[in-house]
Amino acid sequence: MPVTCGERSQCTVGEVGGERSGAGRAVRLAGPVVRLFPCSKMAERPEDLNLPNAVITRIIKEALPDGVNISKEARSAISRAASVFVLYATSCANNFAVKGKRKTLNAGDVLSAMEEMEFQRFISPLKETLEVYRREQKGKKEARKDKDKKTDSEEQDKSREEENDDDDDERMEEEEQNDDEEVDN
Amino acid sequence: MAAAEPGVGVAPPAEEPGSGPLCAVPLRLARLPLARVKALVKADPDVSLASQEAVFVLARATELFVETIAKDAYVYAQQGKRKTLQRKDLDNAIEAIDEFAFLEGTLD
Repeated sequence: MPVTCGERSQCTVGEVGGERSGAGRAVRLAGPVVRLFPCSKMAERPEDLNLPNAVITRIIKEALPDGVNISKEARSAISRAASVFVLYATSCANNFAVKGKRKTLNAGDVLSAMEEMEFQRFISPLKETLEVYRREQKGKKEARKDKDKKTDSEEQDKSREEENDDDDDERMEEEEQNDDEEVDN
Repeated sequence: MAAAEPGVGVAPPAEEPGSGPLCAVPLRLARLPLARVKALVKADPDVSLASQEAVFVLARATELFVETIAKDAYVYAQQGKRKTLQRKDLDNAIEAIDEFAFLEGTLD
């Protein structure tokens, strides 16, 4: 059942999707989206759940031919769609993690989610970027080990790189274990 | 702030766009800030943790999604002989394309 919030015009997300003939499966996103979007239960401010307009606009413009414009309404709708995409993909990916008895979503789960969501054409470019990302992370890790002996100011730069997120260090350790799993995939 | 995190977007110096097998990969790996994507992931109460890689792949997938939906919507603008993408073009794309079914009812 739709959940609409009269307080904010942006916040009308309720049950997502419906059944469409030909799709072969019912697409329902009720759970996480309904829990997240009712205004009264919003744990984060709406801006935090949106992706930055400037970046979204740039991606759109680069995808379209030169000279094509985009209305503010269209751009804002695409931005919302992108947030919904993340939420839906996260939910799908989480199902795979749960199936694998893991508490941490990994890259493989996200790729499986893409398959599930019928975005198979994303999978191969995503795998390529992931490889580049992994090589880059390895390079950064090794550079960090060398730099560990240097001054404090450099360490401050690194902690900014890690988004001041202590979780990342734990995540790194998990990734080292996960790497073995993922290679087998 | 929408600035990309330093370090995330920097490709290894050896790689240049247009050279090598990965020339299709943009020089900046992800333009959407990972912190914002992570905030969305964490908003799901069923999710406990997500690896950095998972967030990265999600961010990249979202960029591909934005490109895809923009292009698909643009087809309708072209049909209407317009050079400005409008909201109705998006609505048409969502209705017509099965992969976008999950968006129905979410954008109003």
